[in-house]
Amino acid sequence: MLRFLAVATEGAAGLFQGIKQWAAQADVELDCVTELPLAVRQLAAARWDVVLAVLGEQPEGDLAWWVDALRGAAGSPRLIVAARRPSMGLALRAEKLGVVDLLTVPLRRDDFERALGRVRSAASEVPIPLPEVKSDAVGQYMLVGQSPAMVEVYKLMARVAPSAATVLIQGDSGTGKEVLARAIHLNGPRAARPFVAVNCAAIPENLLESELFGHEKGAFTGAVARKIGRFEQAGGGTLFLDEVADMSLALQAKILRAVQEREIERVGGAEMIPVDVRLLAATNRDLKEAIAQGRFREDLYYRFAVVTIRLPRLAERGDDLSLLTAYFARQFAERYSKRITAISDHALDLLRHHNWVGNVRELRNVIERATIVATDETLRAEHLPEELRGEERALPDRPQGALSTLAEVEARHIARVLAHTNGQIGAAAEILGIHRNTLTRKMREYGL
Amino acid sequence: MRDAGGARALPPVRVERALGLLADLEVLNPLRALLVSISRPDERTMWSSSGPYLTLGKRGVEPEELRRHLPPLLRSIARHVEALYYAYVEALECRQRSDGAGAAAALLEAGHSEEKFGRLAQALTWYENALAVAEGLQDRRPELRALRSLGEVCLALGRYADAARHFQRSLAISEAEFDQASAIIACEGLGDAALAQGEWAGAEAWYGRGLRLAEGARDARGMGELERSLAVLARRQGDLTTADAHLRRARELVESVGAADAIAQVLNGQGQLDAQLGRHSAASATYREALAWAQRAPRDAGLEVSIRLNLAELQLETGRFLEAEAELRRAEQVAIAENLTSRLVQIYTLMGKLRGQQLDDTGFVFFEQAIELSQALERSPTIEARVYVEYGLFKNQLGQHEEARAYLERAREIFESLGEAPDVERVESELQRMSA
Repeated sequence: MLRFLAVATEGAAGLFQGIKQWAAQADVELDCVTELPLAVRQLAAARWDVVLAVLGEQPEGDLAWWVDALRGAAGSPRLIVAARRPSMGLALRAEKLGVVDLLTVPLRRDDFERALGRVRSAASEVPIPLPEVKSDAVGQYMLVGQSPAMVEVYKLMARVAPSAATVLIQGDSGTGKEVLARAIHLNGPRAARPFVAVNCAAIPENLLESELFGHEKGAFTGAVARKIGRFEQAGGGTLFLDEVADMSLALQAKILRAVQEREIERVGGAEMIPVDVRLLAATNRDLKEAIAQGRFREDLYYRFAVVTIRLPRLAERGDDLSLLTAYFARQFAERYSKRITAISDHALDLLRHHNWVGNVRELRNVIERATIVATDETLRAEHLPEELRGEERALPDRPQGALSTLAEVEARHIARVLAHTNGQIGAAAEILGIHRNTLTRKMREYGL
Repeated sequence: MRDAGGARALPPVRVERALGLLADLEVLNPLRALLVSISRPDERTMWSSSGPYLTLGKRGVEPEELRRHLPPLLRSIARHVEALYYAYVEALECRQRSDGAGAAAALLEAGHSEEKFGRLAQALTWYENALAVAEGLQDRRPELRALRSLGEVCLALGRYADAARHFQRSLAISEAEFDQASAIIACEGLGDAALAQGEWAGAEAWYGRGLRLAEGARDARGMGELERSLAVLARRQGDLTTADAHLRRARELVESVGAADAIAQVLNGQGQLDAQLGRHSAASATYREALAWAQRAPRDAGLEVSIRLNLAELQLETGRFLEAEAELRRAEQVAIAENLTSRLVQIYTLMGKLRGQQLDDTGFVFFEQAIELSQALERSPTIEARVYVEYGLFKNQLGQHEEARAYLERAREIFESLGEAPDVERVESELQRMSA
């Protein structure tokens, strides 16, 4: 039975009367609230499957507030909203925020039932066991993936790691440039020495020089104590300069000098300090274009790009997405003391059809959040962020192109039939038209 | 990236670079505030490895957009200056016809206009002029109004001793004039000034006196706010049971008059108390309820950010880092759009603290941003010193003890120069703990 909380602060009486009648016939346990603070207390006090919020005079603001309020609520209730005069802008916003449905006040029974139907269909998702993941440890990080694009990266990495060559790692945001840099370090001759990473884009421009080269006490306002820079910290090991395209030209000149002369000078210091580091650099920008625009030094580019490795985008990595999902789900389940063994077919579809602008980093983020809000052993569509759930309507009815393998489709279908027969193998084999032993073997094979 | 005409669109200019070009002149403050409020995060950095470290300085600003916003800004500046000039002429005309009350009212109006524009120090000057005029009048009401305005602006400027002096005079006059409403406000102001200076007994006496006056006047809202102030005091003193009782009474009182903003403030305090008592889920629910009430009250971005900051701090304490970060980013958006620089300093300090708990040394960028903001935009040594304290603790967490000590010592120096005894004490104890 669905637990349903209806909240309306204006004109509630008439509205609730209708909902109460429909809910009784729709197997819904309903509670109606007319005050916002009381609704917030109800959300904190119990688990709800659905919240119907009637938006007020400022519907967009109210909508944002509800999405915000439900973010931390137990059981991740789905949100249905109703407005007196829903505009196109409101509909678009609701869609984007993953709202189940936007209804018009006065409510109509058909609309109410359609929204309930959508909530119920989400509840009938079929769990698919997470695949086993063979990963290669890189310190606390892992390189996960078996796609041809990643295998090429591994091969190149294996060739350059043992050398002392400077490597330029290129790739879009979130493709794993730092993980690869760590892998190169750990598989190289300096593995026992420090690996020091500096994110050049994160550090304020006026502080980057002192961060890299260090400073003496009192060298500038704010230099409260002597500071050893990252070049020195990485002594004998590897210095990884991330997002190098963001360095100013003046600093690029100083880096070039440090690389050529193998010595640095602390800010406010008087002596030259010898440094011995292997440099790895990374960028998500097109450095050649930056050179053409006069924003990056060509001589430094050639110093960095002795070997260049390009990391593929997540979209180019085929079914690595399933492996990464499984890997992250297990990692975060452990961190948050949970047990996650499966992902629903629907959630997996949503992940597969999402445009991963942030690549693996974005996927990791999504799975971490999903793991936190998951209430049982399966990650479901409702655990995914609003933006992904908002893409639900764009999903095709059946898998297309190379997005799913035949084995996956088969595994998913078997899981669905088993769910239908409540796990009865004989009945499931009959529906599937295969022998019971064949079904048992396939179940073992797919980990069902 | 190309624009509609096919030409390559130029990337936005980073705020850190944009502010570097702006001369440090008081007259340019509105431009500085506009630049900050229209800045946007660079979409390209959203998922990049620097994304989690994004601060105001790394946001981008489009010069063209700034240009588009200039006419309305200049009009509002002109309106403000016009209001000041006309207020002065009005005061002058009143003086000519020996209407002292009118002159004081015009000068106070000018001060209020400065306050609305965020120019507190300038408002103070107008109020002082108004007081000088009002002091010679037989009617004491203009003097009361001037003293109240002076007390409040001094509190906002952190000039607590001056605030106490103004409220003290205001109380004496309001009692002589049987003006109970003004007396209640004066007592509350005296309590606030004492509280800020760590004078617990004084604060309790003043709030208590104000409460008795409010009870006599059957001023439910006033009583509610004083109960809340007493709860804040009790919480600072570590008496959480008393704080709880005051908050319960405060809530009943403000709910009885349906004051949404006051309810939100009481709930914000209740959330802090619940958090201090380890009642984490209750605290979380209370903060969410506070946000709901704040939503219903007249827009008060400062209150919203305060609640979100408290919620983030709670999430941080309970190890819910992802949620804490999301809450801080929401607070950051509001603070930037509304130009709440001191809140922004708090937000970045908390973000740095969050990174410290994750042992992420790049988190230092948040402290650096907070220091820069407190020096360049906020110009508040107290706020700056508080950032140094947290920066020191962050460095200590990462094992950089020499720097940690240096930051704490710097904070102590600033607090000592300002005579902020409770803060000096806190820094001393942190330094001792570090040495142990």
